[in-house]
Amino acid sequence: MGKLTIGCFSSLVGSLSLDFSIKLAEAAVAKGHTVDYWMSGNATMLSKKGQKAFKDYSHLAKPVQTLLATGKFNITACEACAAARGYHKEDTMEGVKSFSMDWYLASTFEADRVLHIGGD
Amino acid sequence: MKLGVIMSDYRTGSDVIDRLTAEKLGIIFVGNGVYHAASKEAGKASSILDKTNNLYVLTEDLESRGLTSANLDSRVKAITYSDVVDLIFNDYEKTIWL
Amino acid sequence: MATKKLLFVARSLPYKTEASRLALTHAISSQSVEIYLKDGDLVEATIAFVGDGVMNCLKNQQAMKHYGITSIEGHMKNSLLLDMKVMICKEDLAKFGIKEDALLMDADDIGGEVKAQIVPYSEIQKEMESVDHLLFC
Repeated sequence: MGKLTIGCFSSLVGSLSLDFSIKLAEAAVAKGHTVDYWMSGNATMLSKKGQKAFKDYSHLAKPVQTLLATGKFNITACEACAAARGYHKEDTMEGVKSFSMDWYLASTFEADRVLHIGGD
Repeated sequence: MKLGVIMSDYRTGSDVIDRLTAEKLGIIFVGNGVYHAASKEAGKASSILDKTNNLYVLTEDLESRGLTSANLDSRVKAITYSDVVDLIFNDYEKTIWL
Repeated sequence: MATKKLLFVARSLPYKTEASRLALTHAISSQSVEIYLKDGDLVEATIAFVGDGVMNCLKNQQAMKHYGITSIEGHMKNSLLLDMKVMICKEDLAKFGIKEDALLMDADDIGGEVKAQIVPYSEIQKEMESVDHLLFC
């Protein structure tokens, strides 16, 4: 089994790229792979707790929690990107970590594959 | 290099694919990229389909847009997320997102 | 001891989206990645500007003056100061009629020693082949 590192810059609402990346993570974990997931730029919106599941908007909090429960999924938000958007530690969803950008680059070191979704 | 390209857009990214060279190239159409696989403009299929024989489209994204495998160009294979994972790990050394 | 090589390929125009800025800032963060790795292990990042992305390399960007935010040019300069390899596609510059003197090519004024390189696309393709992971922005 391998390690996939996914980095995403796309927003939770307004783009389905983030949905794609979480569904890909689910499929990878289901196959026994481990996934490191990095949220940067607008993607840090996914780290915010209290997301309400309206049918008109993407809602990924539940799949993220399910992924975290597998123990094969690590998810980290870019600290500065989140803070710039007003998302602080107390606003962060349980299980989501917060680090500077070097965490992502370090994750690629042991990754077998990297998928970088560089923004919409 | 064995390169997998995940093509998520219809109007941009073709310029990148046009000049990419790879020992093995695979293109996976997702998001709005599925229109490359399932639509024609002025009766012509997308020129991206001529770039390689390894062409895939994500069924979920095709169906989300009101399209089915009946709309697909015959060169393109419909696949699932699970298949995308296998392609990333088993068929290509590097994967890029356009 | 090992080094993993990454190539960020910036193909987006600057400012409307964060893509090129984040490509640069992520690449620059390779300089402090050792804190997460074993002794001697490294991640080395290179950045290439292709297509519309070459517009990021124009000098005299005044984003700070008008919007109060750092310019992409400033981040390019920092990357050169940190000895990162910065490649700019020659054919794409020619397509836009952009000459070298219009580009940010060095960080001499802040003590940088490395210069940006204007290279044919074939050189960028070679770099894509040689690195471990490709990150298009």
